[in-house]
Amino acid sequence: MPMLEFLFIFLQTLTLLALAPLIIGVIRKTKAVLQSRKGPPLLQPYYDLIKLFHKGSVISKDASWMTTIAPLACLISMVVAALLVPAFLTTTAGFMGDLIVLVYLFANMRFFMALAALDAGSTFGGMGSSREMMVSALIEPAILLAFFSIALLTGTTSLSIASGLIVDSGAELIGPTLILAFSAFIIALLAENSRIPFDNPATHLELTMTHEGMLLEYSGRDLALMEYASMIKLMLFMTIAWNAFLPWGIATELRMGSLLIGAGLFLLKVFLLAVIIALIESSMAKMRLFRQPSLLAGAFVLAFLAVVSYFVLEAM
Amino acid sequence: MAEMAVNAMNGLAAAVLLSAVLLMAIGRMRTLVSAFALQSLSLGLLAAVVGYTTGYMHMFVVAVITIGVKALLIPSILNSVMQRIGVSKEVEPSLRAPSSLLISAGMVVLGYYVAQPLIEKSGSVTAGALAVSLAVVLIGLFIMISRRKAITQVVALLVTENGIFMAAISLGYGMPLIVELGVSFDVLVAVLIMGVLVFRINQTFDSLDTSFLRRLRD
Repeated sequence: MPMLEFLFIFLQTLTLLALAPLIIGVIRKTKAVLQSRKGPPLLQPYYDLIKLFHKGSVISKDASWMTTIAPLACLISMVVAALLVPAFLTTTAGFMGDLIVLVYLFANMRFFMALAALDAGSTFGGMGSSREMMVSALIEPAILLAFFSIALLTGTTSLSIASGLIVDSGAELIGPTLILAFSAFIIALLAENSRIPFDNPATHLELTMTHEGMLLEYSGRDLALMEYASMIKLMLFMTIAWNAFLPWGIATELRMGSLLIGAGLFLLKVFLLAVIIALIESSMAKMRLFRQPSLLAGAFVLAFLAVVSYFVLEAM
Repeated sequence: MAEMAVNAMNGLAAAVLLSAVLLMAIGRMRTLVSAFALQSLSLGLLAAVVGYTTGYMHMFVVAVITIGVKALLIPSILNSVMQRIGVSKEVEPSLRAPSSLLISAGMVVLGYYVAQPLIEKSGSVTAGALAVSLAVVLIGLFIMISRRKAITQVVALLVTENGIFMAAISLGYGMPLIVELGVSFDVLVAVLIMGVLVFRINQTFDSLDTSFLRRLRD
């Protein structure tokens, strides 16, 4: 593979890694504006991360090595996943892994997070990880089925080839399959990233928390690594939502013009989705934990119908 | 251009199906009514696109009537009935949401399976929408039997009607205009009468639960 492509793959991954905190900032700022508050500055997540990186971390004396390696394991899974996701260019390091690897890289992060939360033996940690496991066990089939419908449409499980094929086919592939799979994936995005109908990302002190409950034992540098990994995860989910299901505008070749269009459209799309997430979060209350399975079952049904629609309506 | 219209039709059919599945999952009456309005809106747009592709001008009239009556007028009537009665806003299904969603997935598969031979035989551009419309009819019928309150049953009846209407559009590019007009007017009057009926049920039993109606004796 030529040098130039490698360069762009790294550039793409770096863009994803660098923009991740900004997206959180955009979501928070939009929510603040909608609630007529002034809100923190857009770059506040960066300042927080830098501040946390400068502090030492306190680790419970009962904690084992799991607590020490979990933040690194989470961050590494997310960075590897970022290599596989096309952002503004369909060329990725896709030769390393496909959609299914991607699902399990996300699962890997969750696995380490849940184990680390159980490790120190605090009550909140165990509660948070059991809740997180419930949500993820219910949402994983939906994500896999949504990905399978993409794989059926394009005949490949490689994300970069699939998104290139969808772009090349024009608007021909828009149909029940793609739309149903996209809506299932948006619900999955909210569930996997602990956004509002499932979990409130702003609370630290309530019994309702899922994700934050798992991070309570962490401080300083380890906390920064964990938080940064979650930010990258949200960014990756948003990128996949656009570029696997509705990738139009992404650059399929290394030409200056199409790269510029790809990069501009990518930024626009991601910011749009961030604003939509902020709108959803300000217009909804958090669901009760025992109501969540119904929405998750909804996502599963939508993804299942996407696959069935492919066989009936498009495979003729 | 024609390809674009087929894409638009498929997309709108997907929107109708999506809102039918949504109707199955919703727990609040007001959201239920707005989901129904959304479904009728996509149905009206579907009729307009079909009219555009096939050149049958009366489909545009049908589209305007569908959007006007089913997406605007009927939801506002239902909302005002709910406001006047002031009942609790929960839907109270007799089956829990996850299991009814899974059943609705089964219904969609059944609808697709039944429509499959018809799609293969017919050469019409909207044949794909037929499978979706059968699924919507089945989902509407299922919502009707699985909900206990009178208003949700009214909405379910309207969803079934939407499914039948979509089948008519996708099979024969719509019925003659006079039939269409009659059906729309019928639905409107039916909703008005059902509104009064719901009001009376509420007055008599102090609740909208139709299972109380089993106690009727002469």
